Amino acid sequence: MTINDIRGMFPALQQQVYGHPLVYFDNAATSQRLVNAIRRMDGLALGANANIHRAVHKLASDATEEYESTRDAVRDFINAGSREEIVFTSGTTASINLVAYSFGETFVHEGDEIIVTEEEHHSNIIPWQLLCERKKAVLKVLGIDDEGHLKVDDLKSLISPRTKLVAVTQVSNVLGIINPVKDIVNICHSASCPVLIDGAQGIVHVGADVQDLDCDFYAFSGHKLYAATGTGVLYGKKKWLEQMVPFMGGGEMIGSVKFSGSTYAPLPGKFEAGTQNINAVPTLKDSISFVRQILEDDRLLKETAAVEEYLYSALKSKNIRLFGVPRGTETKIPLFSFVVEGAHHEDLALILDKMGVAVRSGQMCAEPLMDRFGVTGMIRVSLAPYNTMEEVESFVKALEKAISMLV
Amino acid sequence: MKMKTLEEAKQAVVEDFSMYDEWLDKYEYLIELGKNLDVYPEEEKTEDKLIKGCQSRVWLDSKLEDGKLWFRADSDAIITKGIISLLIGVYSGREPKEIAEDDFGFIEQIGLKENLSPTRANGLVSMIDKIRELARESVIEKEPEVLTADDAKELAPLYDNVVLAIKQVYDPEIPVNVYDLGLIYELVINKKHEAYIKMTFTAPTCPMADEVLADVKKSVSDVPGITGCEVELTFEPPWDQSMLSDEARLELGLDDIDK
Repeated sequence: MTINDIRGMFPALQQQVYGHPLVYFDNAATSQRLVNAIRRMDGLALGANANIHRAVHKLASDATEEYESTRDAVRDFINAGSREEIVFTSGTTASINLVAYSFGETFVHEGDEIIVTEEEHHSNIIPWQLLCERKKAVLKVLGIDDEGHLKVDDLKSLISPRTKLVAVTQVSNVLGIINPVKDIVNICHSASCPVLIDGAQGIVHVGADVQDLDCDFYAFSGHKLYAATGTGVLYGKKKWLEQMVPFMGGGEMIGSVKFSGSTYAPLPGKFEAGTQNINAVPTLKDSISFVRQILEDDRLLKETAAVEEYLYSALKSKNIRLFGVPRGTETKIPLFSFVVEGAHHEDLALILDKMGVAVRSGQMCAEPLMDRFGVTGMIRVSLAPYNTMEEVESFVKALEKAISMLV
Repeated sequence: MKMKTLEEAKQAVVEDFSMYDEWLDKYEYLIELGKNLDVYPEEEKTEDKLIKGCQSRVWLDSKLEDGKLWFRADSDAIITKGIISLLIGVYSGREPKEIAEDDFGFIEQIGLKENLSPTRANGLVSMIDKIRELARESVIEKEPEVLTADDAKELAPLYDNVVLAIKQVYDPEIPVNVYDLGLIYELVINKKHEAYIKMTFTAPTCPMADEVLADVKKSVSDVPGITGCEVELTFEPPWDQSMLSDEARLELGLDDIDK
C-alpha cells in the first residue's frame, strides 16, 4: 500500500476548508474514519439494529454476532489471554473511570496510594483524584525530565507497600514519546503493584501485546483508531476483573435479580451494563484490520517515516521550541508539540485553520504538563498514515505565513 | 469631535470588516487593532479580571466616570486582543444602561462568531458576557433595597450631605434652591453609595434645564462617599406651588396668601 491508497479509504480527507484542501493534522485528538467503518455502522443501523444478547430473533442474533466477533478481534489484536478480559466501553476515559471506581472500591482504602505521572492526560488523573478523595487515599506523581522522558528510575522508591496501583500512559498525548511501559510493569510487579496503561495514543502507532507487557489493565479508544466515536476497550486481567465490584448496574450485567440481593453476570458482561453501542463497536473490526495491515507494511512505514522526518526537520527551527525530544526515531510517534517565540498558540492555530490546516492548540488536556514546562499552551501536530509530504509542505508554508503575521 | 452613537460605532465596525474578503486580511486588521490597544499594567492583571472560558488569557476591567463606563483590556493572544479591542472601542465611554441593554448582534453581522474556532467563539461569548456583567453592575440601582439597621446608619449621613449638595443648586429664575422648590421627587442612595435622583422643573419649557441637571449631578457627585450619580428628569406629576417647602414659601413671601 501507498499513502495515496490509504487516502482513498478516508472520505473526509477529500474536502476543502476555507477554499483550501483540508490538511488534517489533529489525529491525536480524533483520527478520520475509515470508509469501511462508516459503511459497517450504516449497514448495522439499516439492517441489524437490534439489542444484543437478549432476543432470539434474526436481527438480534446478527447484531450479537457482529458485536461478539469484535471482542474476538480485539482480543487477538492486543493478544489478551481470553475474550472475558475484553470489556467494551465508550472510550479510554470510560475505561479508566471503570477501573478507578471498581478497582478502587474493592482494593483501595484510607491511607493507600495511587501513582500517576506528570505527563498524564486529565483522563488519567481526575478519576484517580476522585478515588483518592472518596477513599482518603494519596495520589503520588512520577516526574519527567526536561526533555520529556519519564523518570523511571525514581519509580522504585516512589512505590511503597501502600501503593495499590500505578497508572501510566504508553505514549504522552503531548510529548509523543513512547514510554518504556514494559520496564515500568516489571518494576511495579516486583513490588506486587498492578499497572494500568493508558493506550489511547500508543495503540495507534505502537500497538500492544498485553501478555508480553504483562500489564494489569490497558485502555484505548476507537475514535483515535479510525473507528466510530463512543467506542473503547478496557483490557483487564481476569484475576482483577473477577474480584472487582461492578461499575454500573442494570441491563445484561446481571445474573439473577432479587430484592434480597442480586448476582452478576460472568465476565465480561458484569461490566457492560445497559444497552451497548451496538452499531458502533463492530467498526473496531475494520480499524483493527487496517492498523494491522499498516504496522506490517514495511514499504508504507518507510514512506510515512519520511513524511514524519520531513516534518520534524522543518520544525527544528531556531524560534520553535519543541517539547518531548526523542532520543532516536523509534522512541517517538509522529506527534510534535511546540511553541513559537512571540506568537500565541491560539493565534497560530486560528491562522492555520483559515489556510486549511487543522492543528490542536491549548493545554491538550494536560495542564500539569503545561505547568511543568511553564507554558499556557502549545501547538500540536499529529500525523496519521494518510498524511502526505505535500501536506507537510502546505503546513510549513502556512506556519511561516502565520509567524510572519504575528511576530 | 462628537462621539459616535452606539449604532454608528457598530455600523462603522461592520463597514470596516466588509472591506476584507479574505479571513487572513480580517485577522491582519484585528492584529493591528490588538497592537494599538492601550497598555494594561502588568501588575493589574489579577485573577479577578481574567475572563473565564477563553483559550487565551483575557483581562477586562472597567471604570465608571461621570456616568460613563470605560473599559480597558488585554490578552496574551494578539487576535483575541484585537477582538476585545474592537469590542471596547464600540462600548467604552457609554452609559452602563445602554451597554447592558444592547444585543451585541453586530458581532454576528461581521461573521466573527461562526468563523472562529469553537473555543474562540466561546471566548467571544465570555467577553461579551463580561462586558454586559460589568455594565449591569454599574447601572445605578434605583429600586429601594432592603436595608439592615447597619446599612441605614451608614447611609443616613450621606442623605444629609446629598440634600445639602442639592440645596447648592438654584433655579436660575427663582432665588430658591431646587430642593426647597420641591423639584426633587425621588432620592435614592443605594448600598454601593450611588445616588439616583428623579427631579422636575417648574415648567416643561425651562431653557436652562440641561445646566441645572448637570449642576445637580456635579454637586451630588462631589459629596465625599458618593460613588456615582444619575439624574432623571420627569414632568409627572407636574410641579405646582404646593410642593414648595416652608422655607421656600417664607423666602418667596407666599405664606400669607395661602393662610
